[in-house]
Amino acid sequence: MAEVHVIGQIMGATGFSESSLFCKWGVHTGAAWKLLSGIREGQTQVDTPQVGDMAYWSHPIDLHFATKGLQGWPRLHLQVWSQDSFGRCQLAGYGFCHVPSSPGTHQLTCPTWRPLGSWREQLARAFVGGGPQLLHGDTIYSGADRYRLHTAAGGTVHLEIGLLLRHFDRYGVEC
Amino acid sequence: MNPREEKVKIITEEFIENDEDANVGKRKKNSKVQRQPRKKQPPTTGPDKMVSEESHLGNQQEPAQDKPQTRLLSVTARRGPRSLPPIPSASRIGFAEFSMRERMREKLQAARSKAESALLQEIPTPRPRRLRSPSVKELETEFGTESGKEVGSTQQEDDSQSYSRVKFHVSARKIKSKPQVPPGFPSAEEAYNFFTFTFDPEPEEAEEKPKHQDGTNQEEEEGEEEPPAQEGANRMDEEELPHGKDAENFLLGLDHTANEFLAVRPADYESVHVRLQREKEMLFIPSRLTVPTYKKLPENVQPRFLEDEGLYIGERPEVARTNQNIMENRLLTQEPGRRWFGDDGRILALPNPIKPFPSRPPVLTQEQSIKTELETLYKKAVKYVHRSQHMIGSGDPSGNFQLDIDISGLIFTHHPCFSREHVLAAKLAQLYDQYLARHQRNKAKFLTDKLQALRNAVQTGLNPEKPHQSLDMIQKTINEYKSEIRQTRKLRDAEQERDRTLLKTIIKVWKEMKSLREFQRFTNTPLKLVLRKEKVDQKADEEAYEAEIQAEISELLEEHTEEYEQKMEEYRTSYQQWKAWKKAQVCKHRPDQAGSGRAEEHPEEETEEPYPEEDPVKPTPPEPTDQAAIEQQVRERAAQSRRRPGEPTLLPELSLAGSVTPNDQCPRAEVWRREDVKRRSVYLKVLFNNKEVSRTVSRQLGTDFRVHFGQIFNLQIFNWPESLTLQVYETVGHSSPTLLAEVFLPIPETTVVTGRAPIEEVEFSSNQHVTLDHEGVGSGVPFSFEADGSNQLILMTSGKVSHSVAWAVGENGIPLIPPLSQQNIGFRSALKRADAISSIGTSGVTDMKKLAKWAAESKLDPNDPNNGPLMQLISVATSGESYVPDFFRLEQLQQEFNFVSDEELNRSKRFRLLHLRSQQVPEFRNYKQIPIYDREIMEKVFQDYEKRLRDRNVIETKDHIDTHRAVVAKYLQQVRESVINRFLIAKHHFLLADLVVEEEVPNISILGLNLFKLAEQKRPLRPRRKGRKKVTAQNLSDGDIKLLVNIIRAYDLPVRKPTASKFQQPSRSSRTFREKHAASPDTRSPTHSADYPLGQVLVRPFVEVSFQRTICHTTTAEGPNPSWNEELELPFRAPNGDYSTASLQSVKDVVFINIFDEVLYDVLEDDRERGNGIHTRIERHWLGCVKIPFSTIYFQARIDGTFKIDIPPVLLGYSKEQNMIIERDFDSVRSLSEGSYITLFITIEPQLVPGESVREKVTVRRHHINFWPGAVSMYVFFSFRQQFLDLLAGDEEEHAVLLCNYFLFLGKKAWLVIGNAIPEGPTAYVLTWEKSHYFIWNPCSGHFYGQFDTFCPLKNVGCLIGPDNIWFNIQQYDSPLRINFDVTKPKLWKSFFSRSLPYPGLSSIQPEELIYQNTDKVAAAELQDSRIEKILKEKIMDWRPRHLTRWNRYCTSTLRHFLPLLESSQGEDVEDEHRAELLKQLGDYRFSGFPLHMPYSELKPLIDAVYSTGVHNIDVPNVEFALAVYIHPYPKNVLSVWIYVASLIRNR
Repeated sequence: MAEVHVIGQIMGATGFSESSLFCKWGVHTGAAWKLLSGIREGQTQVDTPQVGDMAYWSHPIDLHFATKGLQGWPRLHLQVWSQDSFGRCQLAGYGFCHVPSSPGTHQLTCPTWRPLGSWREQLARAFVGGGPQLLHGDTIYSGADRYRLHTAAGGTVHLEIGLLLRHFDRYGVEC
Repeated sequence: MNPREEKVKIITEEFIENDEDANVGKRKKNSKVQRQPRKKQPPTTGPDKMVSEESHLGNQQEPAQDKPQTRLLSVTARRGPRSLPPIPSASRIGFAEFSMRERMREKLQAARSKAESALLQEIPTPRPRRLRSPSVKELETEFGTESGKEVGSTQQEDDSQSYSRVKFHVSARKIKSKPQVPPGFPSAEEAYNFFTFTFDPEPEEAEEKPKHQDGTNQEEEEGEEEPPAQEGANRMDEEELPHGKDAENFLLGLDHTANEFLAVRPADYESVHVRLQREKEMLFIPSRLTVPTYKKLPENVQPRFLEDEGLYIGERPEVARTNQNIMENRLLTQEPGRRWFGDDGRILALPNPIKPFPSRPPVLTQEQSIKTELETLYKKAVKYVHRSQHMIGSGDPSGNFQLDIDISGLIFTHHPCFSREHVLAAKLAQLYDQYLARHQRNKAKFLTDKLQALRNAVQTGLNPEKPHQSLDMIQKTINEYKSEIRQTRKLRDAEQERDRTLLKTIIKVWKEMKSLREFQRFTNTPLKLVLRKEKVDQKADEEAYEAEIQAEISELLEEHTEEYEQKMEEYRTSYQQWKAWKKAQVCKHRPDQAGSGRAEEHPEEETEEPYPEEDPVKPTPPEPTDQAAIEQQVRERAAQSRRRPGEPTLLPELSLAGSVTPNDQCPRAEVWRREDVKRRSVYLKVLFNNKEVSRTVSRQLGTDFRVHFGQIFNLQIFNWPESLTLQVYETVGHSSPTLLAEVFLPIPETTVVTGRAPIEEVEFSSNQHVTLDHEGVGSGVPFSFEADGSNQLILMTSGKVSHSVAWAVGENGIPLIPPLSQQNIGFRSALKRADAISSIGTSGVTDMKKLAKWAAESKLDPNDPNNGPLMQLISVATSGESYVPDFFRLEQLQQEFNFVSDEELNRSKRFRLLHLRSQQVPEFRNYKQIPIYDREIMEKVFQDYEKRLRDRNVIETKDHIDTHRAVVAKYLQQVRESVINRFLIAKHHFLLADLVVEEEVPNISILGLNLFKLAEQKRPLRPRRKGRKKVTAQNLSDGDIKLLVNIIRAYDLPVRKPTASKFQQPSRSSRTFREKHAASPDTRSPTHSADYPLGQVLVRPFVEVSFQRTICHTTTAEGPNPSWNEELELPFRAPNGDYSTASLQSVKDVVFINIFDEVLYDVLEDDRERGNGIHTRIERHWLGCVKIPFSTIYFQARIDGTFKIDIPPVLLGYSKEQNMIIERDFDSVRSLSEGSYITLFITIEPQLVPGESVREKVTVRRHHINFWPGAVSMYVFFSFRQQFLDLLAGDEEEHAVLLCNYFLFLGKKAWLVIGNAIPEGPTAYVLTWEKSHYFIWNPCSGHFYGQFDTFCPLKNVGCLIGPDNIWFNIQQYDSPLRINFDVTKPKLWKSFFSRSLPYPGLSSIQPEELIYQNTDKVAAAELQDSRIEKILKEKIMDWRPRHLTRWNRYCTSTLRHFLPLLESSQGEDVEDEHRAELLKQLGDYRFSGFPLHMPYSELKPLIDAVYSTGVHNIDVPNVEFALAVYIHPYPKNVLSVWIYVASLIRNR
C-alpha cells in the first residue's frame, strides 16, 4: 500500500560524441508495483546544443506508483539516440539507473554504453552511420551474461529526480 | 606469519621459561646473549642456520645501505624516551666499566621484571604502525611490501605463541639434558668462556642465535613505530641488543675455537630394504587386483543388477579401474562390517555429479557466437517513419527466409501399370521392410531379457539374506515383480508370434510369386528372396526351450495356486457368512432350539430354505488347479509361437538379383504393358501456401516404377509457411498431365536446417480408376490372382515420395527462419514427441492434464532425477491431493516480502480512483483531486461506474421504451465507446504543428504588405471577416468558452390569425396591449382583420436561444419579417470540465433556437384604472424552432446561413397566408418555398481547434466504418442497409442511400448527392428528376426543395452517385442553384467509370431485398399511452414546481383524436377543420398549442422538444394543460411520434 511518486526530469546528456541527441526512456518495475498514473515511457525531443557540450532535454517524468513490496524497485532505462544531418537516427548509448530509494531530490548521472560490434560494423558506423543495437532491450537492465558484450562508453545522461514516499514506515521500511 | 615477529615471540617466551626455571635458566640465557655476536662469525654452520642467517642478513643489510653510522645513534636516540624503568641509559653508555657480574645481576633483574610483565600480558599487543620520518625511506619501502602480511599476522600471534612455546620447551629440555663440566676460570674472560663452552655443542643454540638477533633486529624496526608510551613486552630484547653489538667487537678475537665445536659425521642413510621392512610393519598397501564379487557381497547372494530390471541408475562417476580395485580392497580389509557395496557388488556411488558441459563461461573470442539475448543487430541509420505506430510488427526489415525442399524421388507402391507380379513384389517388399524394421527393434529379444532379469530379481528377492528390509516389503516387491513377469511374458509371446507370422507371410508371398512366374513364364521384377538358415545347437536349444517352458509352467502354477488360495479364502468367508445367516434363520424359526447348540446346525443346513429370494447361495469350493492341463497349455502355445527346438533360424534376404525376362520373350499383353509404362512420365509440382512455386522435371517412369528426381528447390519466402504440398502429375504420351495425388509435407521445425534434415518418405494415394487393356492390373479395379476370379483385390494407385524439407542456412550460419511472431500458433508438428514444449506447446506446459498425458506417452523414466520435478508435478497434479496453483510465479519469494496482499491493494479506494482516472474512464476522467486517505473516499463514487460495468450486457429498458430500441441504444453506446477509446489513443499522436506554434518570421514581403495596409481604408465598405486566432483546447476552464449566436433576421413568420369563431366577443383580458393603442378595440374581431393597416403588427416575435439549460433571448421585434441583428452570448460548459478535444467532440448538447411570439394581455381588472396604470401579462407563444447540434458548430467553426424554421403543422391562432399578400417583395424569391426562415450566425469564442481528422479504421462486425474522429457522435456508416434498418440509427448517408434506393425502386430517376449542407456539413442528399424539375431531398427530414430554391440547405454539390456510375462535379460553380445536373455532359460531369475504366458490373454486397416487418401495434399503443404520455405529463409537472398543473381531460381526448388525422394527412389541410372542431368543443377556452412531430428514437429528445416549446412556462393561475401523444407505427419498428401540447385558459 505504500506509494511512490517519482517526479523529475531527464535534464540532458553530456559527453556524447554525437551532437543531435534524443533519449528514449522507460521505467521498469517488478510485479509488485502498480502504476497508478503517469506515463511509463517516452521519448524526448532532439536537442542540438548550440552553446556548450550538454544537450538539454528537460523531459518531465511524473509517475505515481503503488507497491506491495520492495522488490522490483523502479529503474530507469535510457537509450540515447543521435540524429544526423540527414535526419537518420542511430544509437548512441544505453543506460540504466535505479530510481533512488530515499525521499528528496536526487541528481543522478547515468553513464551509457553501446555495443561495439565487429570491426566491420565499427567501420560501417564510422562512415555510413547506423550501428549495432541490442536485439533484446531487457539486457539494458538485466545483467544476464553481459560480460559477453563488447561495448564502448557513451556519454552521461543527467537526471534530476524527486521522490516522495508514503506509508513505507507503516511496513517497517525506514526512509 | 611474519617470521621476524615470530622470532620476537620466541625470545619473549624464552624469558618466561627462564624465569620459571629459576636461576640456572637465567644464567644460561645471559651467557647466550653475550655469545651471540661471536657465534655469528663462523661461516660454516648447519643448514638451518644458513637459512635464518640469510633472512637475518637481509634485514640487516637494508638499514646498512643507509647511513650506517647514524643508524646506531638514531636507534639509541629513539630508544631513549621509550625504555622506561629499570635500566638507565647510562648503563649502556658506560658499558665497559661494568663488570660482568654486575651485568649479570642487571640482566637477571631485567629478565625477572620482563617475565612478570610478559606473564601479565601473555601476548604482546600488536603494534600499530605509524608513519615514519622521511629519513628512513628504505624502511618504508620494506614495510610497504609486507603490510599485507602484517595485518594477518597480528591475529595469528596467538597460534604462533603456543607453537613457539612448545619449541622452546624442547630446546630447553635439550639444554638441560646435556650438562658439560667446563674448566673453571675465575676471571671475567674465563667466566665468559665457561658459559660459552657449556652450551657450545648444541645445534639448537646455533639456531637460536640468529633467531635471536633477527628478533632484535625486528625490534629495531618495530620500535621505530611504536608509540613511546607503550610498555613493550620485549623491552628486554632491546636492552640485549647493545650487548650483542658490543660483545661482537669485544669477542672478535675468539674465533679460533670454531673447530672445537664441530664434529663431522656421515650422512644418515637407511637402506631401502630396511625402510621397506619397517614400512611393511606399519603400512597396509591394498592390492590392485580386482576383487571377486563374492567377497563384496554377503554370502550366497547373487549380484543383482538393478539396471537390467529396468530401474534407473544414474551414471556412475568415472574412476580408474585400478583405483576402484584399491579402494575395494582397502574397504574389505579395513572396514569389513560397513556396507560399502551395493547389490551389484560395486561400491555404492551417487550418480555422476559432473555436468556434461562446463559451467565456467567459455572465454569469449570475437568470432564466437553470442547468446541470443545479447545478440546485437547492425541497423542502418534510417529515417523515422512517423506513421509506424499503427503498424503491427513492423520491426523486421529483412524478410529473407529460405526453405529448401529436396525431392529425391518417387516410388509407386501401386500403379495401374503394375502387373500381377508387380503387385506381389510390392507386397513382398513391404513385408520385407516390415520384417527388417521388426528385426532391428527385436522386441522379442528385449522382452525375453527383461523376463529373465525379472525372474532373477524374484530369485534374489526371495533370498532371505536381507535383514534390513521388512518382510512384507519384500513380499510386496516380489508380488509386483510377479505381476510384471506375467505382463512381460504375455507381451513376449505376442511379439514372438507376430514375428513368426510375418516370416510365414513373407514365405507365402514369395511362394505365390514364384508360382506366378512359373505360370506366366516370364519375370517382370528382379526381386529374389533367399532364406538363410542358421544352424543352432540342437541340444542347448532344446534345453533352453525346456527350461523356458518349465519356468513358465511353474510360474503359471504358482499363479494358479495363488488364485486358488484366494478363491479358497473367499469361499471360506462366504461360507462363514452363509452359515451365520443360516443360524439366524434357525433362531428366528425355532427360538426354543436356538440355544440347543451347534449339533443341530447340520440338519438345518440341508433342510431349511425359508426365504429363497434373500438367501445367499451356498458357496462351492473352487477347484484346484490341474498341473497337467497347464503344461499342456503352455506347450501348445510355445509350439505355436516359438521356433521349435533344433529348428534352424530362418533369415529372409530380399535381393534384386533376379533377371527380368526381355521383351521378345514375353507375351503380347505384357509387351504392351511395358510399352505403356515407358510412355508414362511423372513430375511433381511444389505448392507453397497453395501457390505453385516450382515443379520438377518430367521423368520417365522406370520399369521398377521408381522415379528419381534429385532436385532441390530453394524457396525464398516471406511469410510463415502454412502448407507445403507436392502434387504428383502423370503424363501419358503427349496427353495433358493428370493429377495423380497430392502429398502434404510437414513444415519443418525451426531447428531443422539444411544438412541436418533426414530424408523422409511420405505416402500418397490416388482414388483414380484406371482400367487397362493389357497386363496392367489397373487402379481402383478389382482383379484376382486366382483362376476362378475369387478373392478379388482392389488396389489404388499409391506411392511414396522421398523428400526432405529444411530451413536454409545463411552465409553467416544463421538459419533463415522467419521470426516466431509470424508463425501460426496453431501449427504443431506431431512428430516431435520427445520435447515437452515442442509437442504440446508452451501453453500446454501449464496444463497439467496435457503434461501428464505427454509424460505417459513419451515414457519418461520416473526414476531419472532429471525428470524428478516434472514427475512430482504430474503426480501431484493428477492425484489432486494437494493444491496446485494454476499459475506460474515469476518472483517466487515475492509473497514473503509483500507488505500487503493483492486483495488489500486492490481494495484501496484511493488507488482505484487514481488508476481509473489515469485510465481515462469516462466517469473519472476529469476527477480533479483525489483524497489522500481511503476513509475520505465515499463508496458511492464507484457506484455509477460499477453499475455501468454490470449493465454492459444487461439491457436497460427504463429509459428506452421498447426493448428493440434499448438493444440498439446499447449497441450504439458500445460502438461509441470503442470509437472514443480509439480516439483517445489517436489523440496522443501529435503532429509538430500541434505542439509547436511557430510565428512566421516577418520577411520583406509581409513587411511590404503591412506597409500597404497603412494606406488601406480604415472602414471599408465591405468589411471582410478576419480569421481569429485558434485556441487549442488546453488550459481552458469553465466560462472560457462562449457560444456566440448572432440572430440576424427571420422571414415569413406566421402571423396571428384573427380568431374566427363564435366567441368573437372580446374579453377584456384577451386584448393585446399594443393593439389597444392601435385604436382597435379588439384585434380578434373579424371586422378588424380586414382593416389591418399595412405594417400593422401581426406578430411580435423574439428569439430565445437555449443551450445547456442556459437561456438567452433577443428583444422583441415586430412583424413577420423581423430583423433583430443581435448577438447572444451563451456560456459553454464542457462535460466534467474537460476541455480536451476528445471531450468536446463528444458533447451531445443541442442549441435550440426557439421563435416565440410575445403576446401582451391586459390584465387590468378594472377599466377605471386604465388611465393611470398598465397591467399586462406577457404570454409567449411558440412558433417554431431550429436545432443545431453543438458538434456541428464545433466542427464547422461557424455556422452562417438561413435556416428553415421547424414550424409545427398546426399552429393554432397563427397562419401564414397573409404573408404572401403583405410581403410582396419577397414573393418572387420564395414562390416555391413554404415555411419560415431565420438567418443566423453561430460561432464559438474563442475559436477552438477542431480535432485533427485522423482517419482510422474501426471494424465493427466486419463492416468498415470510416469516420472522422471528430465526429464521434456522427460516425458515418457505410454499412449494410439491413443493419441500418435493424439498428434504427444511421446518418445522413444511410438515410440518403435508403431514400435513393426507394426512389429507384419506384422507378424514378434518382441520384445520391454528396456535398455540403447547412447545418449538417458534409452530407448526402438525394436528387430526383421529376417533370423537368430537379428536386433535392433532405433524407433525414424528408423535406424537398426545388433546384432553384434559395433556402435549400444543400450549398454545394461534390458528386453524384447513380446506380451505375459516379460523376464528379467539374463545373465552375458548385451551388445547386447554378449547376446543371445533366450528367450526360462530360464537360460538366467527370464520370468515374468511363471508356478507359468500364463499369465492371460490381455485385452488390447488400441483400437483394429488404424485408420490412410490421411493427407490433399493441406495443406502440402501449408505448404511446402509458409511457410517453405519462412521462411527459410528469415532466411538465416537474417543470412547474411552483404552480398547480391541471390537466384538461376533455381537451386531451379531443387532441388525441385529432393526431391520427394529422399523421394521415401529414399536417396539411387539416388546420381549419381542426380549429373548427376545437372551437366547437372548447369554445370558452383560450387555447394555444401545437402538435410536435418527430421520429422516435429515444425519450430524451421528446422531452427536450416539449421543454423547448416553453408551454409549461405559462403561469396564469387558472391555466390548464392538455397533452396527447400518438404513435404511428411504420414497418420495421419505425415509429412516428406526435405530441400535442396545449395550454388552455378559460375565458371568463
